[in-house]
Amino acid sequence: MRKLIMMCILLFTARAGYAQAPVPAPLQQQPIALTGATIHTMAGEVIENGTLLFQEGVITALGTSVSLPDNAVVEDLSGKHIYPGLIDSYSQMGLFEIGSIEMTLDINEQGDVNPNVRAERAFHPESRHIAIARSAGILTAISSPGGGLISGQTAAMRMEGWTWEEMTLRPGVALLINWPNANSDSYEENLETLQNVFDDARAYSRARKANEEGGSWLAMDTRWESMIPLFTKERPLLVNANQVQQIQDAITWAESEDLEIIILGGRESYMVSEQIRRRDIPVVITTVIGSPGRSWESYDHQYSLPARLHRAGVRFAISGSASAPYAHRLPWEAGAASAFGLPMEEAIRALTVYPAEIFDLSDKLGTLEPGKNATLLITTGNPLEYETRIEQVFIDGRKSNMMDMHRQLYQKYREKVEAAGAAAQD
Amino acid sequence: MAFCLMPAIYLSPDTVLAQTAPTEGMKENTARVHAFIEAEIILSPGNRISNGTLVIRDGVIEAAGENVSVPADARIWNIQGKTIYPGFIDAYTTAGMGKSDREVNQGNISWNPNIRAQLSAAAEYLEDEEEVAELRGQGFTAVLTAPPLGIFRGSAALVSLNDREVAGKVVKENIVQTSGFRRSPGLGFSYPTSALGVYALMRQTLYDAEWHREAHQAYQENPSLERPELNSALLALNEVITGEQPLLIETSGAEEILRAYSLSEEFDIPLWIVGNGHEYQILDVLREKQFPMIIPVALPEKPDLDTPEKSMNVSLADLRHYYLAPENPGRLEKEGIRFSLTSRGLDNKSNFLKRLRGAVDAGLSSDMALRALTTHPAELLGVSDSHGTLEPGKTANLIVADGDLFESNAKILDVWVDGSRFAVNKERRTDFAGTWTVSVSDGSASGRLELEEKSSGGAAGSVTLNGIRTELRSVTLQDGASRIRADFRGDRYDLEGLIRVTASISGDEITGWAEVPGQGRLQWTGRRSSAAERVEDSARTGVNRNLTLSNIRPSMEYGRESMPEKPETILIRNATLWTMGEDGILENGDLLIRNGKVAATGTGLNAPGDALVINAEGKHVTPGLIDAHLHSGVAGVNEIGNAITAEVRIGDVLTLNNIWMYRQLAGGLTTAHVMHGSANPIGGQNQHIKMKWGALPEDLKIEDAPVTVKFALGENPKRVGTDRYPETRMGVEQIIADRFSMARDYETRWNEWERNRQGIPPRRDLRMDALRDILNGDIIVQSHSYRQDEILMLMRLAEEYGFRIGAFHHGVEAYKVANELAEHGAGAVVWSDWSSFKIEAQDGILYNARLLSEAGVLTSLHSDDSQIATRMNWEAAKMVRAGMDPEDALALVTINTAKILGIDHRTGSLEEGKDGDFVIWRGNPLSITTKVEQTWIEGQKFFDLREDRTLQQRIQKERSELINWILEEGYE
Repeated sequence: MRKLIMMCILLFTARAGYAQAPVPAPLQQQPIALTGATIHTMAGEVIENGTLLFQEGVITALGTSVSLPDNAVVEDLSGKHIYPGLIDSYSQMGLFEIGSIEMTLDINEQGDVNPNVRAERAFHPESRHIAIARSAGILTAISSPGGGLISGQTAAMRMEGWTWEEMTLRPGVALLINWPNANSDSYEENLETLQNVFDDARAYSRARKANEEGGSWLAMDTRWESMIPLFTKERPLLVNANQVQQIQDAITWAESEDLEIIILGGRESYMVSEQIRRRDIPVVITTVIGSPGRSWESYDHQYSLPARLHRAGVRFAISGSASAPYAHRLPWEAGAASAFGLPMEEAIRALTVYPAEIFDLSDKLGTLEPGKNATLLITTGNPLEYETRIEQVFIDGRKSNMMDMHRQLYQKYREKVEAAGAAAQD
Repeated sequence: MAFCLMPAIYLSPDTVLAQTAPTEGMKENTARVHAFIEAEIILSPGNRISNGTLVIRDGVIEAAGENVSVPADARIWNIQGKTIYPGFIDAYTTAGMGKSDREVNQGNISWNPNIRAQLSAAAEYLEDEEEVAELRGQGFTAVLTAPPLGIFRGSAALVSLNDREVAGKVVKENIVQTSGFRRSPGLGFSYPTSALGVYALMRQTLYDAEWHREAHQAYQENPSLERPELNSALLALNEVITGEQPLLIETSGAEEILRAYSLSEEFDIPLWIVGNGHEYQILDVLREKQFPMIIPVALPEKPDLDTPEKSMNVSLADLRHYYLAPENPGRLEKEGIRFSLTSRGLDNKSNFLKRLRGAVDAGLSSDMALRALTTHPAELLGVSDSHGTLEPGKTANLIVADGDLFESNAKILDVWVDGSRFAVNKERRTDFAGTWTVSVSDGSASGRLELEEKSSGGAAGSVTLNGIRTELRSVTLQDGASRIRADFRGDRYDLEGLIRVTASISGDEITGWAEVPGQGRLQWTGRRSSAAERVEDSARTGVNRNLTLSNIRPSMEYGRESMPEKPETILIRNATLWTMGEDGILENGDLLIRNGKVAATGTGLNAPGDALVINAEGKHVTPGLIDAHLHSGVAGVNEIGNAITAEVRIGDVLTLNNIWMYRQLAGGLTTAHVMHGSANPIGGQNQHIKMKWGALPEDLKIEDAPVTVKFALGENPKRVGTDRYPETRMGVEQIIADRFSMARDYETRWNEWERNRQGIPPRRDLRMDALRDILNGDIIVQSHSYRQDEILMLMRLAEEYGFRIGAFHHGVEAYKVANELAEHGAGAVVWSDWSSFKIEAQDGILYNARLLSEAGVLTSLHSDDSQIATRMNWEAAKMVRAGMDPEDALALVTINTAKILGIDHRTGSLEEGKDGDFVIWRGNPLSITTKVEQTWIEGQKFFDLREDRTLQQRIQKERSELINWILEEGYE
């Protein structure tokens, strides 16, 4: 118990700050140099006792002999570790507040075909879940609509800022579709619907091109318009598919349609891992900490999925469930795979390097390298381990407030407990 | 009146003496004497007469044997080559009970629509001719029939499948009271809504029947007392509670049979159990109990293996059951368990013989099959003086078959019931098959007619005229008239259209005429030149049943062949030993287990030479983990039929096939508090169990654990239905207070009765019993809660009634009243970090358990989720992230949990005298990189990582063998 209280003081230095809501961090004004830390760049060797320098939100230098500008703010981080910020590859952050209160949810638009809706445009910067994720090291979330056949466009969002506009790292990183259930009696029919949508959209896309080249006038169709980047391969399709037949059928279909796809879920992807590897299709694994769906499957069926894909040479990120209030569990979702055969380094990559690659964010995120965003964690150790504390995060060089709703309420009611204790002593 | 409606006047003349209906019209007086000669007679099981004679007179067997003379007044039935069996008796049907749901809403009935014990099958019987014909078609001559609806359903009657008035059918009424563990949805949605509630209502009803008896005795002795209610349903249960009449319980699944045993033990009543095809899974229990069993021959549906993808979704339990179900009767026979058979469960009763033969192919002896359909039910139903065999003096119920009914596909030709004949399958009279030499009378054509019998019983053939052969297009036989009809195309004979032929057969002669297009009608004749080869169509090729399946319980994936060994002494050495007791964490720690209990912990411990020594160097050992709040492995979670259901008990509905238990063991869970749901302000009683995978439900229970009850506050109890009180948190508080007051009054009334024994005895009310025990602290309240207001409310309410709440579960806002909880003395059982899934959960925080612990509240984590229960160590580890000391964090799923649940004398820490419940971990249990290597309960190893891999191989092998077998041999 004594240890507990000490830790409590260690953990929340900003005591009595609960009364004020955490304020978004200001933009980086001065160069910041983090020195003395073990830097896990995730781009190669781990740098012991290294220095990481960033200016205007971008990493400018890192290594063991970095010359610092005169005006740099130097933070001595001896004994600490620095990691790239973690990326949640599939999240409903900003679109979800209270599960049972319909009006706080902006996930499922009406109808089955919504390729035009955009997650960032409805992202709620005031959501309580953002700061909880941030203080757990999740600094970027691929925020996603859901439901229907074509759910809408996902957006890479930074967990820092005043408005959605400021928080949008990159809009339209993928278009989410839900592959029809292969066990359904109307599977064939649903596939036909999907095909019709894409045929219509493709025809529209061709007509638009012809129109631009001086062809006949074409009436605007908002839905098909939004799908043009798919056909030019500027935007991948994020295909929610868990059954082996769904996965195989989606791959075959995407190939015949000449579309770029990412498999989301991928529960049974291990069964066709060779096919997936050969075509270099990435997978976003949504469940590691989970139990098998079938009684004959091994108790660690889900836990060992990342290890199996890793051995098969399949590229993957790990996302965990999309639920916004539980985004802080992401490190454990990936870490659990390490107990069941995935090298720990790979588990960390599945939250950093790989999602950045899969969602085409490698120019900004994923590793700690000069030129990339200063989006990083300062920790007491491996961020995937329970005992590790995430002490500070920077997002694009902005030093975020580490307070969140959990900590605020803890501090508030800690005062009540202490007052009662004091009263008892009097 | 209905007398004149009797149709089969010739074959079953109604000259029955023992009837009351007056004669109308001419008295029908054909002698009812029949002699079956040259027959193979199965007099009784095991007693066969070849070439014997059986004489029946006026519905009763007069004589049977080899040297029986045929009486002069007998009609003679020469049935050479045929076999006579005693008529079958179906020991459980709902024949004549009507197909529609019928609510009883008049008379002095029970308050509960599912309690219908007063109904009598004899009185309810309404003939369904089709159903009766179908049953007779399978050889049944008499059936036990019971009212089909409700929980207590009414008394059953033995009914003869003759065609008389109902009064002439009933052999015996009020044989047995019948019941089942399922409510009938058609009787309205009311308490009980769950298996939990059904069992509680059965108990309450039997107690009510006892009370009803005693109350009326008291009233008879002193009529100046206030008159107790006179309830026909309770009255009908009189003989059941006194043990004079057995209670029949229809079951579904092995667990319900076990549940039936529990009921019989509590009330000391004899049972008849209608089984369900899963009996082979609990043969050891059945053998011990020796209650009469009534076993269906119905089989499960064929698993859907249409595609490899679909095959993946079929469980081993279903595959195994599909393969093993036909063996069920045979396995019962081998275990010496006495049973009767029933057609119950067959969608189509016409499949009875087919299924019966399947059981014979799968190991049931023909002799036992016959016993189970004749002498066994006759004895069970108390009619063995009149039914079950063909001995003289017995009722003339018999089957005439064209061969061995059990060993071949022989057909039943006639069934005789009470001396009346019912034709089932007509024997072919006309022998038409063979080659006939034919010629047209005018000499215009001659040739051959070839006729053959198809396996379906129809006919086919060809005609060859003037050397040109043509297939017959359709051949039909009018057997009774010895007539055959066919047509064929005329084009090969330069005739346009169809030539239609009709002919009459007499021995080897055929005479007919044909309608020929353009030529009118031609006469023709013929003679049989060669007979067809006789096809033996009744021979049966047995099914290839060559698989050797593991003998496991539960009969599913990871089932056990036997319970794990229990070494007398076990020494775990050199572990990082988390004692969770005063010794703290011991590096290089040893753990000594003797006879399943912790004998010592320390370093450098010694063990006798024969001890099992496990070197756990580099590994961590902790007490078995405990989940304070789980809902897996139960046949029902919520009884929502009333806002207050303290009488229902989770312990009554534990299931056998709970795959979660194995997965939870694989995560180091050894103990769980299995809880009622949260639909009611006062819900049901919970059950503490050890995760003894492979044991029967009853053996999972921790026998000396305190009784606990679930309460629920907040959104859940408010939102059940639209018309159930309460709908606000205010109402939740008031209904709890109201029932507490009722319980006080109840206790006072009982105390008064115990003191002076005056007047009508009070009625034992299981709900009030439980509430009284809550108020007296004998049942510990474990309350579902979210918000601080409701937590505080229940503490204050309990204080007003003079007791303490055991613990608040979920307690999403418990940290907001941490000091109040500490002061009251309630524990907190919370989630690690659940939040925001509903409005009352919006302030759920990761630091809940931590702040509660800091405030001095005895705190535990829980899962409330089958998956989370497989990794409670990681739930505890989250609290390390939240700033707790690792040992304090592990206490949240071990010793603290045990204390809150009142089982810390048994488990929760590794201290001398406690149960040997421990887990060997690959590394620090609070690390993300750890996993379980072994899980031990009471000195028995229930999970082992290496054994798990072996089991997986066994499962894969058995699955693929079974899938192959079904694809190649599977029955429909």
